[in-house]
Amino acid sequence: MGFELVAPRSPEEAFRLLEEGAGAASVLAGGTDLLFDLDRVTTAPRRVVSLRHLPWRGHAWQGDTLVVGSTEPLYELERDGSVAARLPGLHTAIRAVGSRALRHRATLGGNLARAAPASDLLPILLALDATVEIAGPAGTRRMELDRFLLASRTTALRPPELIRSVTVPAAPSVYLWQRVRPANDISQVGVAIAHPGPAVYRIAVGGIVPRPRRLPGAEAGLLSDPPPGPERVRAAEEAAREAPFPSDRRATEEHRRRVVRALVERGLVHLAGGAA
Amino acid sequence: MIRADAPAKLEGRIRFGTDRTRPGMLWAALVPAPVAHGRIRQLDLDPARRAPGVVAAIGAAEERALLPGRGAEATPIFPGEIRYRNQPIAAIAARSLEEARAAARAVRAEIEPLPLLADLDSVLPGWPEEGLPADAPINAHVRARHGDVEGEFARADRVRRDAFRTSGVAQVPLEPHACIAWIEGEVWHVLTSTQSPFGVREDAGELLGLPPERLVVEGSWVGGGFGGKVAALVEPYALLLAAASGAPVRLALTYREEFQLTRSTLPARVWIASAVRGGHLTARTVRLLLDTGGSLPGRDFATGYAIAFLLGPYRLDAFEVEGYAVRTHKPPFGSHRAPLAPQCTFAADGHTDALARDLGVDPVAFRRAHVWTAGDRTALGQEVGPFGAAAALDRARALQEEWRRSMPAGTGLGVGLGYWSTGTGAGGEVRLSLTPERLTIHEGEREIGSGSVVRGLVAMAERTLGLPADRIVLEYGDTATAPYDAGVFGSRTLGALGQAVGAAAHELTAELGRRLGAAGPARLGVEGDELWAAADGRRSPIAQLLTPGERDHGGLLRTGRHYGRSGAIDPARVHAGEFYAYHDFTASVHLAAVQVDRETGQVTVLRYAAIQDAGRVIDPPTFRAQVEGGVAMGLGTALTEEMLWGPDGRLENPGLLDYRVPTLLEIPPIEVIPLEGFPGAGPEGAKGVGEPPIIPVPAAVANAVADATGVRLYELPLTPERVARALMAR
Ligand SMILES: Cc1cc2nc3c(=O)[nH]c(=O)nc-3n(C[C@H](O)[C@H](O)[C@H](O)COP(=O)(O)OP(=O)(O)OC[C@H]3O[C@@H](n4cnc5c(N)ncnc54)[C@H](O)[C@@H]3O)c2cc1C
Repeated sequence: MGFELVAPRSPEEAFRLLEEGAGAASVLAGGTDLLFDLDRVTTAPRRVVSLRHLPWRGHAWQGDTLVVGSTEPLYELERDGSVAARLPGLHTAIRAVGSRALRHRATLGGNLARAAPASDLLPILLALDATVEIAGPAGTRRMELDRFLLASRTTALRPPELIRSVTVPAAPSVYLWQRVRPANDISQVGVAIAHPGPAVYRIAVGGIVPRPRRLPGAEAGLLSDPPPGPERVRAAEEAAREAPFPSDRRATEEHRRRVVRALVERGLVHLAGGAA
Repeated sequence: MIRADAPAKLEGRIRFGTDRTRPGMLWAALVPAPVAHGRIRQLDLDPARRAPGVVAAIGAAEERALLPGRGAEATPIFPGEIRYRNQPIAAIAARSLEEARAAARAVRAEIEPLPLLADLDSVLPGWPEEGLPADAPINAHVRARHGDVEGEFARADRVRRDAFRTSGVAQVPLEPHACIAWIEGEVWHVLTSTQSPFGVREDAGELLGLPPERLVVEGSWVGGGFGGKVAALVEPYALLLAAASGAPVRLALTYREEFQLTRSTLPARVWIASAVRGGHLTARTVRLLLDTGGSLPGRDFATGYAIAFLLGPYRLDAFEVEGYAVRTHKPPFGSHRAPLAPQCTFAADGHTDALARDLGVDPVAFRRAHVWTAGDRTALGQEVGPFGAAAALDRARALQEEWRRSMPAGTGLGVGLGYWSTGTGAGGEVRLSLTPERLTIHEGEREIGSGSVVRGLVAMAERTLGLPADRIVLEYGDTATAPYDAGVFGSRTLGALGQAVGAAAHELTAELGRRLGAAGPARLGVEGDELWAAADGRRSPIAQLLTPGERDHGGLLRTGRHYGRSGAIDPARVHAGEFYAYHDFTASVHLAAVQVDRETGQVTVLRYAAIQDAGRVIDPPTFRAQVEGGVAMGLGTALTEEMLWGPDGRLENPGLLDYRVPTLLEIPPIEVIPLEGFPGAGPEGAKGVGEPPIIPVPAAVANAVADATGVRLYELPLTPERVARALMAR
């Protein structure tokens, strides 16, 4: 199906183009997800609004917080040594997304807006307490990621709103995942753990419906620093129990639980200085 | 330059089937059946005909009208009874692809659903313990036997029985099936991406009721075949649309259709039992159920060939094999690089590996003690020719010891042993023409990517004539002009067409020798721009050796033919169905090193070695590429690739997202080790290596997993979930 491609130079122009095309306009960042929609005859958009010329690209540290423009390609974060050093979990998760070629195009904003249950970035951003900056015709608003994500492929964005940036506080962190094929496959489960302060652990999982989420029950049992073996095992078992795993063609619920249990324990060992 | 086609391919200048166009061309779309089994009560094409841009909309009724001369017994192209989901029930030609697709969606069909045969488990749940139901949907039955099977099992001091399951796998060529059809007077033409122009002429001709002189097939460059482009698939629909519309029609499958309509390896179930006495393997029995999908009875080519691989390349005193090809509502069974051999070898070699471990014997030594060497007899009674298996096993054992010393603790090492035969049987012919400037090889095959045509045939001409590659040109032609060849499949191109090049070259040099007045054949050479021939101390430019007619009309022509002969099996051992004799005996012995995550079940292949019985390596880079490619593809069959059909006959993973072929990131370093000295059916004793290197991969990986964990997997592929479940169950 044919469509019109437009590339506005300002957010205001983008909002106007999206409002004009209401219902039949799509936002294009890296296009790695959108490309599938363009091929679906029934839902293909008539107008595609590219964000490439918006002044949102780039990332920078503000003290201990990383601010990432929504149109920043993942590869720019991957190759920045400060991201690997100060947000190791985020760095691992980024490297888990597709292939290097894909990461040259795929953006952080696109991953958030897609809100895929199997996203590799959402669990680690949840564990790190990321916040989303949303821009719209009426101005900008900020929201915790946990509130931004509503359900599979559903976010709190109200058209023609766009994600402008994402803010991620630095913390020791780890991300572990499992797939049938290690590269370029969809994760069956992803486990993210952040350890922002003494005896504080935040655990989030992906590969669950309707969307990735934190696991407060598993977090609650982690009281020591570092947690001793039995505490880690209890947290891992609680995580496997707590998360609402589906059975689908990629994995059974049973397998997802088994793997999450193993990965939560490994993540905690890793954060305590052991090998993951 | 290693490959003459490389620059054009790297620069994107090669035009594959999907890239081809013709002036005035229409675009086609297929209308997929919405059920896997059903009877079409009524097909309403009018909404499609009224849709914008549509020039022709055809179904079964139009097919009959377009093919008045076709016999009544012919299988219809558009079915009355649907045999698999998405089977095309109608086709559209329109001025644009979008319009063709929109019109295809507008077609209305009234279909009476019929009961579904989804898979082997639901069709024949009880076999082999229970007998077959009288109305079992069987396409073929094979049975062979020799010796005192019951006696050997009764006398055995050890018996092992195993059951295995394997999955359907797709060929996954990057270029989907694509063709352009047009009609010129009485002659129907099709330009198509195929491994076998003459095979398509035969298949499509039969379906359309067209004799060979009324159907001309031209091959385009092929963007990968792997067995999927051997038979006709898209061509009959495009030809019918061309006849209906009066215009050239292009039909290319979407990538989703490529998965849904491909004829490939389907699931199998295998049972193997072996009897051992005094450390010797004495007898083996085998049962096989093979899903052959919507194949028609009498069209089975795989069961008798595949089932023999389950016996392994071993000396046996007694054996019995029995198998059924079962009809289900899936697309028909088709060829996939060494059809079913990787799956059967996973079962047979895994069983043998486990048996050796039961006996406390080194698995490689156990195979070595029983494997065929020249002069032995196969189970079916054929005399074994030169076979490199024993030498390859010795090599593998030494390598395994070396790896064992150097690799980290916990690494599992596994050896897999597979065998195959170069398929030189189907006929092949080439024509050579020599002009003062160059040698031209006229032949009927397009390069499918392996290099067997652009490199293999050229290398043969280089070797037999002494000319450099830059003076040798390939000329393809269509089925009306090119010499006959069966197709690029069965690891046969070098073995058959390469021999034909050699035979024609022999004629050419003999004739040039005569023209020089010499007693023996001439040698060829190049000086400046000119070719020359020399014999017995006489030397002359080619220009002076040609007749005026030859100089004006295409040069000195010579034809070479090759039709290989196989050995013979003992018919007394065959009790039902068809079994096949081999043209030669090609061994592949692989060594895999794996690490297994005991909690997640993830198998990582760390290192890999492939020892390939090659007879003689004609072109080392092409040989190496074939072996590496076979291993990579085999790793997919071993670890990640699996077609998943739902209970409604729907393919649930028709795309690269959930049908997982290995990426470069999962393919470990592969050591390719050629083994020469055991000649095969090809030129200079070469053995075909297109298929063999995929065969032992799943076995080697599964044997390595068993070595690492003590747990054996009985089902392909070895996904993390299957491995984790097996480890938990222990
Ligand atoms: C081969 C392949 C492998 C992949 N592997 C992985 C993987 O391993 N892990 C993983 O998590 N994902 C994976 N993905 C998914 C995808 O690459 C990521 O989700 C990516 O981050 C999306 O970013 P994009 O810039 O390409 O988004 P686009 O495709 O451009 O957009 C995605 C969606 O978000 C909307 N959108 C984009 N930017 C904004 C914005 N600023 N504001 C509002 N809406 C916006 C678009 O309208 C669209 O609906 C894979 C995809 C492919 C094709």
